[in-house]
Amino acid sequence: MRFILFLLFAGAGLIVAFAPLPVRLAAPQARTFQLDAHQFAYSPSELYVNPGDTVTIQLVSTDVVHGLYIDGYDISVEADPGQTSTLTFLANKPGSFRFRCNVTCGAMHPFMIGKLTVGENDWLYRSVGLATLGIIGFFPLSSFLKRSTS
Amino acid sequence: MSRIELTRNLFIKKLLQSRYPQLTVFIIMLAGYIFAILAGLLGTPVGSHNFSIVFVWITWWAILILAAVPFFGRGWCAVCPIPLPGEWLQRGAILRPERTLSEAKWKSKGGWLNLRWPKFLRNIWLQNISFLLLALFSSVLLTTPNVTGIVLAAMLFMAIGSSVIFERRSFCRYLCPIGGFIGLYSQTAPVELRIKDKQICVTCDGKPCYNGNENGYGCPWDVFPAGLTKNTYCGLCMECLRTCPSDNIAINLRPFASDLEKPSTRLDEAFKAFIMLGSAMIYAAVLLGPWGTLKDAAYHVGTNSWFIYAAVFLGIIFILLPSLFALCTFRFQNFNSFKKRFTTLSTSLIPLGLMFWVAFSLSFVLTNATYILASFSDPLGLGWNLFGTANVAWQPLLTSMLAPAQTLALVGGLIWSARTAQNAAREAKTSPIPVILYCLIATIIMLWLLL
Amino acid sequence: MAVAMKRSELLTRILITAAVIGAVGTPLYFWARTPLIHARVAENGGWSQNVIHAKVNEPLHLRLTSDDVMHGFAIGQMDMQSVDVMPGKVTDLTLTFDKPGTYTFYCTRWCGVNHWRMRGTLEVSGSNADPTTASAPLYVSLGLDIDALHDVPIMPADKPSAIRGEQLATKLSISQFINPDFYRVNSPYQLFEDLNSSGLNDSGKWDVVSYIWQSNTTPESLSHGQKLFAQNCAACHGENGAGDGVFADQVALEFGKSMSSANNGRPANFTDAKRMLGASPALLQGKILRGGMGTGMPSWGPIFTEDQIWDLVAYIYSFQFQYH
Repeated sequence: MRFILFLLFAGAGLIVAFAPLPVRLAAPQARTFQLDAHQFAYSPSELYVNPGDTVTIQLVSTDVVHGLYIDGYDISVEADPGQTSTLTFLANKPGSFRFRCNVTCGAMHPFMIGKLTVGENDWLYRSVGLATLGIIGFFPLSSFLKRSTS
Repeated sequence: MSRIELTRNLFIKKLLQSRYPQLTVFIIMLAGYIFAILAGLLGTPVGSHNFSIVFVWITWWAILILAAVPFFGRGWCAVCPIPLPGEWLQRGAILRPERTLSEAKWKSKGGWLNLRWPKFLRNIWLQNISFLLLALFSSVLLTTPNVTGIVLAAMLFMAIGSSVIFERRSFCRYLCPIGGFIGLYSQTAPVELRIKDKQICVTCDGKPCYNGNENGYGCPWDVFPAGLTKNTYCGLCMECLRTCPSDNIAINLRPFASDLEKPSTRLDEAFKAFIMLGSAMIYAAVLLGPWGTLKDAAYHVGTNSWFIYAAVFLGIIFILLPSLFALCTFRFQNFNSFKKRFTTLSTSLIPLGLMFWVAFSLSFVLTNATYILASFSDPLGLGWNLFGTANVAWQPLLTSMLAPAQTLALVGGLIWSARTAQNAAREAKTSPIPVILYCLIATIIMLWLLL
Repeated sequence: MAVAMKRSELLTRILITAAVIGAVGTPLYFWARTPLIHARVAENGGWSQNVIHAKVNEPLHLRLTSDDVMHGFAIGQMDMQSVDVMPGKVTDLTLTFDKPGTYTFYCTRWCGVNHWRMRGTLEVSGSNADPTTASAPLYVSLGLDIDALHDVPIMPADKPSAIRGEQLATKLSISQFINPDFYRVNSPYQLFEDLNSSGLNDSGKWDVVSYIWQSNTTPESLSHGQKLFAQNCAACHGENGAGDGVFADQVALEFGKSMSSANNGRPANFTDAKRMLGASPALLQGKILRGGMGTGMPSWGPIFTEDQIWDLVAYIYSFQFQYH
């Protein structure tokens, strides 16, 4: 009986982790953002686009040479103050990606971070779902777990 | 599966009992530590290209929190170089004691001032404070080589100083900021040092494991091995393995978190759990979040915004988190004191805090690991290229695996905490549900901060 | 009871002492023996060495590193590709000078509002006892007061077009205007007035002015000027020349209270027709060469060659005129 419950929760877990989520259909469009980079943050530091959008980021450095590297997309650009640089890409990977500076720009350079969200931050929803599922499933299953490891 | 005695294997036992393998590691660690101090003070001020920052806060930290603590408990303490110069000074020798038995007893407690650590400080509050001091200055510490160099040197000199004034390894036991949390989290490790047969200890004359003999020194951690029921204060230095005349000390493999089955009721340890939980979440927000104002406040030490940041930091750790937790331990008609319930249930934050730190560190380490290659070849930023990797470009590693790994760590930690809470609640004769919900909410916040 | 130390203990002590001495001595030794020139932002000291010495015809080996942000290194008035000076890394540079004298080295990548102050001198000593005297810049030999106001009374309604100007100019004789001797000492407005006898209306005259201005330069020159502007001027003057660069506010804050600042201390707005059309190339060259005088404008004299300044001047006029 407990074993069936365990399978049920494991199955639910797999669904929460891997089942395709409903995608909000939005027509892809071209979006342009101007990102001001200064020691040690971008403004704006959070960007939201839809999957399929063609995104253009204009990087304006306002104090020293900064870069912009987008995790997950593995693309980057750098800009000197006075010389705006442009990065254009197709936002075909959904989810949340951090972007960071890739030109050493001072002490807190490794923490100069922003966030790009393409569509929804699906992985966050899945994780929260898994955490909650884990706790719900914990109670009926915990005694099962205890018995098997005593 | 209960316990597997690793020291039954003769090779392992000889390896641990002999002073030479340990000494080899000691020499490498000490030389590396001193080199890190010099690199911090003399090398390039650019943190990402200085050996001291890269090898302490990226390499050593990654190995510590991702491998050493979860799998070996206080395994780092076994090879840490900080207490060594002081201890060698204190003992008057590096290898085994060199006198007759009676002199050895004297020698093993040190030939210097040899004072007992003051009773009212025999807790981990000083370690809580020293960790918080590092944490409040962490933005500067993690990024500025000469600050790291000075802190490393300060710890070394403090350890030497305390070895000369007090007996045994008092820096390690009562002052070291790292030791405070390694000790707490070592309760989750699958490795332990315990006696084999209590009867042998009862009839043992002289208790050389604590007092020393011609084979070795009395426990530098001020622990009586026969009384060891948890990993928290045993530094795995292996002295008792060498001194025990009855071969009664063993290193065992055991299930994870075995120590948490007998939860501690100490307030200092409970607050350590809150310090670690809170600082993991604050670090995630400040260092890995997109909020520039937080980073500015954290970095510019001494400004008004930094004081506000420090106040909020301490407020979260000492007021917000514990008081919300206290609400979760509240229960009518309970025969146990509030303190017992609070401290017992707070042990459920130990696996949670450990996994919070693992999840945070994964991001920090994978993003910056390529600096290790460059720093290996040019540790001081003088233009060397010792191994040809000085010009390896920065590149975050395994970014696609990061989110799943963090989810696994955090959700796994949550379930682990729930189990610990259940066990602790049984000990405290109360319900685990509010505490489990507390852990769930904390996990959701951490997921939101990291993902 | 003194017992002789066991051999193993003695050897171990020796080993550990050696390891510690090695760990301390190695970094100390190499650090002391590696002369590096450190670059820091001007607020933190700029270059660690303000004067570099070299001998004529002898290679000079420089090792440069940055202590904070991305910097660059180049020597003024020399046809030299600048090198990046990167944080935490060392750039090796070998230079040979064939003429003795005092050169200026400077930072080539913007590192803050005081980036242009990151300069030093390179003294090249040699046996050549024949010093070359520099000739006075044009504004000095003309006796031009480059700080005087040069607003114009009549401005074009729209941006003058060189294409229209070219068509209109076919009926005029303008060859006397297309030579450096005329171009350099006259402002566009002065040319506008000289065209009064052409019979064109104001708009037409301005168009012809823009065509003549374009004819006094080359596409190559404009392209060089654009690059120089982007790398050196845009940070304060703005990528579109409107005096709204990323450092404009900081410059205004620092120099706005000074009495001699014409623009409330803000960097000059090259899109301001009233001012720009009354400025001759000689005046602009003077401003670029001399800079300063209570404003945040750097003196570029030691940095740019004369050709580079003419290229820049030509490009600056393109904010006023529509070149094709």
